[in-house]
Amino acid sequence: MTGYLELTGLHKRYGESIAVHDVSLAIGKGEAVALLGPSGCGKTTTLRMLAGLVDPDRGTIRVDGADITRLPAHRRNMGYVFQSYALFPHLSVARNIGFGLEERGVARGDITRRVGDALALVHLAGLERRRPRELSGGQQQRVALARALVVHPSVLLLDESLSNLDAKLRDAMRHEIRSIQKSLDITTLFVTHDQVEALTMCDRIAVMHRGRIAQIGTPEDIYERPAARFVAEFVGRANALAATRDGGGIRIWGAAQPMNDPGWPSFDILIRPQRMRLLPSAEPTGDAMRVEGRVLRRAFVGDRVEVLVEGPGGQLTVELPSGGTLPEEGTAIAVAWRPQDNLIFPPDAA
Amino acid sequence: MNGAGRGLSLLAGGVYALILAPVVVVVALAFSADNFIVFPPSGFSLRWFRALAGNAPLLAALGVSVQVACAVTLLSLVIGVPAALALAKGRFRFREALTGFFLAPLLLPTLITGLALLLFFTRLRLTATLPGLALGHMTVTVPFVIRMMTTAFATLPHDIEAAAATLGAAPWRVLRRVTLPLALPGVIACACLSFLLSFDETVISLFLSGPRAATLPVEMVHYVEGRTDPLIAALSVVLIIFTLIVVVAVERLVGVARAVSK
Repeated sequence: MTGYLELTGLHKRYGESIAVHDVSLAIGKGEAVALLGPSGCGKTTTLRMLAGLVDPDRGTIRVDGADITRLPAHRRNMGYVFQSYALFPHLSVARNIGFGLEERGVARGDITRRVGDALALVHLAGLERRRPRELSGGQQQRVALARALVVHPSVLLLDESLSNLDAKLRDAMRHEIRSIQKSLDITTLFVTHDQVEALTMCDRIAVMHRGRIAQIGTPEDIYERPAARFVAEFVGRANALAATRDGGGIRIWGAAQPMNDPGWPSFDILIRPQRMRLLPSAEPTGDAMRVEGRVLRRAFVGDRVEVLVEGPGGQLTVELPSGGTLPEEGTAIAVAWRPQDNLIFPPDAA
Repeated sequence: MNGAGRGLSLLAGGVYALILAPVVVVVALAFSADNFIVFPPSGFSLRWFRALAGNAPLLAALGVSVQVACAVTLLSLVIGVPAALALAKGRFRFREALTGFFLAPLLLPTLITGLALLLFFTRLRLTATLPGLALGHMTVTVPFVIRMMTTAFATLPHDIEAAAATLGAAPWRVLRRVTLPLALPGVIACACLSFLLSFDETVISLFLSGPRAATLPVEMVHYVEGRTDPLIAALSVVLIIFTLIVVVAVERLVGVARAVSK
């Protein structure tokens, strides 16, 4: 696999703990890839190695074929948007954005023009003379983005860039950053622990877990065909149901299931809550997967309702669109789903 | 009203009164018309301020003190700021040990430092010289500058220097355009406090002074050993005013610099 940005066998340890373990990744020109994972999975360390802020112990980083692994940060030409934005508090918005151009020796007139263009791009025209502390969080975020983009970096790196914004603003910025990224056709690597961010802003997602890449794929691949149990449980939510064998047949919560035996000695079946439906206990379900239980609790979440069902094997959550009629708490109920929605993994090792 | 209750406010007021009471006595004595230190004075005049203006030894000592303090301030910053930068940002072996080592002189009684310096400087023929005095004072001011600036450098906003580096600034450009401007309030504070520490330093100066190189505090000690007139009170008032001006100036400068950098 070759790409515009190529990481090969990147490895970094801090003392006893391995932060990044043999990470390899190839990203095409203009592609947006998310590094998704829980905190401490090594995603930010990977990003900092790309920017030259952390030295890898092993491995190489190539941009457009050139090995930049040992190049200092200031000679890499990468745009980096920090989680804290890291704007220069002593400089105006215009000087903040022009900083990289000044360091590159761009003529003063060109700097003014390009800073103006960059401000227009992020919808902040007219705020040139403000200080960072006089801006709202969203505006600071835009300045940080403009500052990173104005130098025409070869790669744009974003570190949890939306995590400090409130929910509404985050939605707006998500779309805005994605459309800027597409219109500039800039190769981009996002680091995020927010799956919605990863799913909506990127062409592909690399899910990281304990320093390794657990799976790389399109958002749909990751969600519908998770390659590892960790991916299935981290991206989206999933009910884990233990399967047992009974003379060749497979049972869940004691009920026989119409599914093929994967052949493993024991395994769990994971199902997304919104792929399950509820039906009266007596109603037949044909060849669908099915378990019996009773309604333990219902939670109204606005656009959807979560129904917690308790059965002989534990509890599971069914997610339904709100507005429909719901079974009362305590009612006996059947939960059914299609066999093709099964995600089958060995039991959780942890 | 803020959180502090009446009792606490009264206590604070009492402590301040206790601290400032002697100053009131000194100020009253400075304007005394008497020949000797008598409190309360029998009359008021400016005669001791006029006498001060004509006292050559004290004025000479003032000149020595200002020269020494200026040199100490400059050298302490030149040595202390880069050292603090290395200790705060550097990644090298024995960094912790070095930090402790540089701060150790602050824990030593100046009496001991003074005696040690006297024994040491006698061999080097540095006693009773301006360089000797300046070096002596720097045993106090340099650790002080290192300590304050290490904190100033270590508390810069997170990732701000990394941001400058990713934007194409070489390490020395990051230092010049980001690190130093943001640490400027600390540098100004260090400069002023170094100056005052040196100007005020008495114990080490007593050990290292001589007839041709005596700082103002030393000369004042010698004066009150032999005389009991209010001249020294007049001088104290002048020093208090001078110190107040410096402190207010620092407050203004640092305050302004803080406002600019936030």
